Amino acid sequence: MQASASTSKLLKMIILALMGAISLVLFFLNFPLPFLPAYLKIDFSEVPALIAALIFSPVAGIIVEGIKNLLYLVITGAGDPVGVVANFLAGILFILPVSYLYHRYKNVKGIVSGIVAGTIIMALAMSLLNYLVILPVYAWFMGMEEMNIESVKRAAVLAGILPFNILKGIIVGLLFLPLYTKLRSWIEQKSARFIAD
Amino acid sequence: MNNMMIIGQYVPGNSIIHRLDPRTKITVIFFFVVFVFFANSFWSYALLTVFAAVSVIASRVPVRYIAKGLTPIWFLIVFTFLLHLIVTKEGQVAFEIFSWKIYTGGIAQGIAISMRFFLLIVVTSLLTLTTTPIEITDAIEEMLAPLKKVKFPVHELALMMSISLRFIPTLMQETDKISKAQASRGVDFRTGPLKERIKAVVPLLVPLFVSAFKRAEELAMAMEARGYQGGEGRSKLRELRIGKIDVLIYILFICVVAGLFLLRS
Repeated sequence: MQASASTSKLLKMIILALMGAISLVLFFLNFPLPFLPAYLKIDFSEVPALIAALIFSPVAGIIVEGIKNLLYLVITGAGDPVGVVANFLAGILFILPVSYLYHRYKNVKGIVSGIVAGTIIMALAMSLLNYLVILPVYAWFMGMEEMNIESVKRAAVLAGILPFNILKGIIVGLLFLPLYTKLRSWIEQKSARFIAD
Repeated sequence: MNNMMIIGQYVPGNSIIHRLDPRTKITVIFFFVVFVFFANSFWSYALLTVFAAVSVIASRVPVRYIAKGLTPIWFLIVFTFLLHLIVTKEGQVAFEIFSWKIYTGGIAQGIAISMRFFLLIVVTSLLTLTTTPIEITDAIEEMLAPLKKVKFPVHELALMMSISLRFIPTLMQETDKISKAQASRGVDFRTGPLKERIKAVVPLLVPLFVSAFKRAEELAMAMEARGYQGGEGRSKLRELRIGKIDVLIYILFICVVAGLFLLRS
């Protein structure tokens, strides 16, 4: 197909929009893990963002994450804006290492090391962020400045946030690895077409 | 589930609240959320509650839809209330249960914070109950328009949001169709060890991504053929317009906020 520059930009936008929509659909098909608090749920919504980040660029992955979270806000209302921001940040922290390492090595090794790095970075950064910002904000929201105690926060992070994010990274990785090996030639073909344009 | 995804929580209707410009609704609700945190006396809470109640009645949305929006946080409301009863030790001792002293300050604090939660959820869910997601997207595009000056791609963002919203039901159906097709071949998504269940998702996602790219190519071609050339000079099917009711609502809301600051202690 002969594509002009404008078609290519429009096509890219539409693809990212559809990836965002798939991401939201997968986001709604979430499931809790048996031994963690119910508000920490696992879903595969990072997968479309990862695919976009591999085919185009890390920024494309961020856009897909952004669309997913904006759609969630627009559809369900702003009941929990803090949770939406937290999900957006966690998604980005996971995607960026994977796409940087993939674009560097362009093979399975890049993906595996990316997922390991992404999981560690996401888990550590989200723990820190929860400890310093998110949990205090929730405590303030509930009018519970008393809850803003070191021991309570530390327990919430060590028993909830940290293991949850590590598990989430591992589970998403377990899905993404076989998916990548199946889609590898397709991803490379699409990617080549857009770089050529 | 399927139904919820297609229209969000929107309850079709033709009430005053439905007919308001979505920008008005977003602005008023945003400032309501901010000002709820300023209420600190019985009468200031009473004023905000009356405002929320009148809005709900005017929207003619059946109460059960609003109650449904509250279900996930009932637990949180009760939990916060009880926590304040136990932790706050101000005022006089109201009564004792099993030699545990409950203070009047604790009761007042508990009710106030629960009320704050309740008002926040009721009013924000009123937005999604009376406004379609596409209306909200249009409103966001208009409200963010000044950001175009700093090269923020407002139009592109809104276009992507509308395309996503249009395709969510389609993709939802497709996911359902593919998973049924897989299930009929004997794939089990619900039981078995976690690792096997994760692997079972792979054949579900592959066709989803491939067909999404095909759809995107078709749509891009169709839009180009119809002369789409970005946001510049594009006309719209649904024009947003600030009407008389919107102005009235703004005035009413400003009065409520003024009243709130008068009634604060």
